[in-house]
Amino acid sequence: MKNKNISKKAKAILGTIACPIALIALWQLVILGEFPSARFLPSPCKVFNTFVTLFSGPTYLQHIAVSLQRVMIGFFIGALTGFLFGLLIGLSKTAEKIFAPFFHAVRQIPMIGWIPLIIMLFGMNELPRVLIIAVAAFYPVTLNTFSGVRNVPREYLELASVYGFKGLKLIRKIIIPAALPSITTGISLGLAMSWSILMVAEIFIQTAFGVGTQIQRGRDRFDIALVVAGIITVGVLGYAMTLLVQKIVQAVERGQVITTDKI
Amino acid sequence: MTKIFLKRLRLKDKLLALIVPILVLGAWQYAVTQKLCSELILIPPLTLLNTLLELAQSGDLTLNILASLKRVLIGFLLGGTSGFVIGILMALSPVLNRVFGPVIKALQQVPEFAWMPLIIMFLGIDEFAKFFFVAIGAFYPMVFNTYQGVSGVPEKYHELARVFDYKNFRYLTKVIIPSALPSIITGIRLSLGLSWMFVVGAELFGSDSGVGYLMTWGRAVFQIDLVMAGLILVGAIGFIMNIILEIAEKRFFLWREPVDGRPA
Repeated sequence: MKNKNISKKAKAILGTIACPIALIALWQLVILGEFPSARFLPSPCKVFNTFVTLFSGPTYLQHIAVSLQRVMIGFFIGALTGFLFGLLIGLSKTAEKIFAPFFHAVRQIPMIGWIPLIIMLFGMNELPRVLIIAVAAFYPVTLNTFSGVRNVPREYLELASVYGFKGLKLIRKIIIPAALPSITTGISLGLAMSWSILMVAEIFIQTAFGVGTQIQRGRDRFDIALVVAGIITVGVLGYAMTLLVQKIVQAVERGQVITTDKI
Repeated sequence: MTKIFLKRLRLKDKLLALIVPILVLGAWQYAVTQKLCSELILIPPLTLLNTLLELAQSGDLTLNILASLKRVLIGFLLGGTSGFVIGILMALSPVLNRVFGPVIKALQQVPEFAWMPLIIMFLGIDEFAKFFFVAIGAFYPMVFNTYQGVSGVPEKYHELARVFDYKNFRYLTKVIIPSALPSIITGIRLSLGLSWMFVVGAELFGSDSGVGYLMTWGRAVFQIDLVMAGLILVGAIGFIMNIILEIAEKRFFLWREPVDGRPA
């Protein structure tokens, strides 16, 4: 029985790694075949070597740190304002009627569309990069906070009025805990959007540091190995960030269950 | 969301909705008359309107919109169809799911725009590179939603299909796809919304036509009215595409609430 389980697991693992291995093997074969159309393609070994050289010096880590810092600042600004704005239009129907139509109209414009305009307005510096990342986080956090606040069960609000909870206490003790799952969804969506827009910000708005800049530089120098290494770095970092946020969200939600029990 | 804002608004609510736009326009006009900022950057609101009208009259508008729409359509068809097919295959065959699933999930971690430099190196900046880029954007929502829909087909339906001896094509068209349709439609809307975003991005990177080109050109010649006109066009076209899909969805799927398919 145990053996069967193990072999099942082994099969599953084999299935999972089959495709990546086949892809890398195919990649190597294409290199060995020396096809004329693939003469620019770097070999898997070369990409690996590029990684080794990149990580042997401090510069690449610096690029990564700058990118992470950029995302964090932009994300923090966007998520905080989005949370407050979502709370405002969620709590007050009048505020919703005043701000929501304009918000939805502006939201129709894809993020990329703002790039030429903000470059013209702010120039090629750090401000427009952080701004566009903040906007990317702002939309999902606002929308999810809004729907979370609006969908607080009526019974909770009734209970709160029985206890005489009002104003800030009502928001802190009832509304935010009840809306938390929706808010955390917004936050993880927002972080994913910020990370995705970071690439746009670093590739379109020229800068000296950042992983996106490295990818762009690789293209300028026709160093495909560098481009591929950059893409892999971005993917892995994005994945690590998603996992981290998931863990935090789970921890927060577990903590939240306990506190609502206390109430 | 859209329908709420279009239909359920009463007159008082409409007036309330106008407050912010009027304030913004007013502040803008005020800044122009007070010359708070360089005239190159702070153009009067009327100039923007004129630019839009001029573009429409000269025919540049339709030409560029059509160029962008063509790219969206072809890219969406490429990416959407392959996402649809792979999604179905992954949901129906555990082996294929194990083979493709992790690779697709790993590739999805890479922000789409990071592919752009690589695409340009291999495919150049001609039309095909743009189709390909749009197709990448259209692929992910389609593959995940199709997969979700097809793997959610109730076991009862499979059993019934076995009883009726439905096989292959018939099984697919009579049982699987109809049952997974709501999820597939969600995929189509998300995917079309993203396609529109990516076509603008692809055009910003280098092209000689399209709405995104209009904006890059405006930036290059420092005509901010052109850039803003492009911005309004991009938003409006995305909005109209979404409304068309919403109407189509309501007509064909009376039993369900339309999804909000706009990209954030």
